[in-house]
Amino acid sequence: MTALLDVSRLAKRFGAVQAVERLDFQVEPGEILGIIGPNGAGKTTAINLISGVIRPDSGRITFAGQDVTGMRPDLLVRRGVVRTFQATTIYQERTVRENVRRGAFTTAYRGFWSTFLGTAGARAAARRAGEAIDELLSWLGLSEVADAEARSLPYGFQKVLGLGIALAARPRLAMLDEPAAGLSHDEANHVAEVVRRINREDVSVIVVDHNMRFISTLCHRIVVLHHGAELATGTPQDVTRDPRVIEAYLGTQH
Amino acid sequence: MMTTRVLAMSASAGVSRARWAWLAAGAVALLVWPLFVNEPFFLHIATLALLYTIGAASLHLVLRIGHLSLGHAAFLGLGGYTSALLTTALSWPFAAAFIASGLVPAVVALIVGPIVLRLRGVYFVLITFTFGEVVRLVFTEWQSLTGGADGIFRIPPPHALLASKRAYYYFALAMAVACVGVVARILASQTGRFIDAIREGERLAQSSGVPILRFKVMVFAIACGLVGLQGSLLAHFITFVAPGAYAFNESLNLLVMNVIGGMGSLTGPLVGAVFLTALPEFLRGWVELQRFLYGVVLIIVMLFVPGGLVELGRRTIALVREPEGRDA
Repeated sequence: MTALLDVSRLAKRFGAVQAVERLDFQVEPGEILGIIGPNGAGKTTAINLISGVIRPDSGRITFAGQDVTGMRPDLLVRRGVVRTFQATTIYQERTVRENVRRGAFTTAYRGFWSTFLGTAGARAAARRAGEAIDELLSWLGLSEVADAEARSLPYGFQKVLGLGIALAARPRLAMLDEPAAGLSHDEANHVAEVVRRINREDVSVIVVDHNMRFISTLCHRIVVLHHGAELATGTPQDVTRDPRVIEAYLGTQH
Repeated sequence: MMTTRVLAMSASAGVSRARWAWLAAGAVALLVWPLFVNEPFFLHIATLALLYTIGAASLHLVLRIGHLSLGHAAFLGLGGYTSALLTTALSWPFAAAFIASGLVPAVVALIVGPIVLRLRGVYFVLITFTFGEVVRLVFTEWQSLTGGADGIFRIPPPHALLASKRAYYYFALAMAVACVGVVARILASQTGRFIDAIREGERLAQSSGVPILRFKVMVFAIACGLVGLQGSLLAHFITFVAPGAYAFNESLNLLVMNVIGGMGSLTGPLVGAVFLTALPEFLRGWVELQRFLYGVVLIIVMLFVPGGLVELGRRTIALVREPEGRDA
């Protein structure tokens, strides 16, 4: 059994704050892994470390058998690791289609000279990317708003668009930072459904959230973080019954 | 021939039909007017305006990657001095010196770019300002090479046939179309898409796999190479180079062309370059008022028409087409 992603003894300190401490977990191929924990537990730091936005102080990250610790984000994307952001990060003033096209850099961009000269290869790559994006848009339920400005969309659609930008890079592992934050119940269900569909396309997923209900209905396994360290790992049923988790999460039960 | 090819390339990038008609009309006007008005004064200003479209358009590229440079004139100067020295001291043919005048600033940009382009906002502005001053000081102090504050005189025309103002005008027109065409083509290609992505959301672009710094350095080097070409064409037109011509106010001038013309599209710097080259010449009679008017125009534009002259033109056209306006 080889894990797709193997995080081992990861640590990161910001000044006096130990944001992440001895973090260990694996993502199996085809898995949806939830990372949950109270605010300040180190969830976003963990995502930032894995996606290469910040470098760990120590520890090791292995993706598909290769050491990718501290690798630049754009190089990680080429290997198939993408992430989304907690805030809705989209290109506000551009159309939905243009947003997703910008996500397809790794597949659509064939280098400066070939795009400048408009070589057959560059045009074919751009055309294929365009077709793939139309497909992705309909798959995400965004076809009807494809030509609308992104900022004119309802918040839930903007979140799905953020997913779409990430998926346009054709990832093997998608890390989603609070994909349902600020969404209504129905919108959150829609996002969960999209995540399940992504997963059925052989994309492994890490979902970070602090909403236990959202995470436990969506994920195969859950890692619970507390003060930057792993508190418990297991199936949603196991984790939600774990007394340490209940104490950390809900405070001491009376 | 080069010009038609560049235009043809931008056509494939999807320029609408009406826009083509305007472009064609503009091209005819630019080609034909000197046949009727063979006035050295107008030809001189028109040539300067054409040459400055190259510099302004190249600075537009830098602005498009989200960086505001106040040192662009340094690269203009590097191109000018390179071309001047190679054709006078070493008697190189113009064509070779012209190519070198693009390559030297581009290489300098490739060296300083990876350092300065990591800086954001006001820090980038300050470091490019400083860089511009350092380059100007080198032009002034390295007297054995650059002729010091006096500069280099008697720079020959690129070719015996280009000695007349009218001939140089056509030469400048062809070069401006080629250089601006390169900028237009870059912006209309896939590269332009990701240039805009970087400016609008650097973090997001990076998480889609765009190598941010490499993209920025590449665009910066191209922009500096292009403005270096303008430096060469300008030096051979006015036949001398001197450090004062590449000082801070020239960098500011290139920037103001972009601001007044409008920073939203490539049309802005083109309009701005023409406007700001012609305006001072027609205000010669009020020299003491020039700087003042310049400042007033700048403030008015920034306050009321942040999209620049292009935006002003668009609003006027909209007003003419629909005089009642549509406030609702």
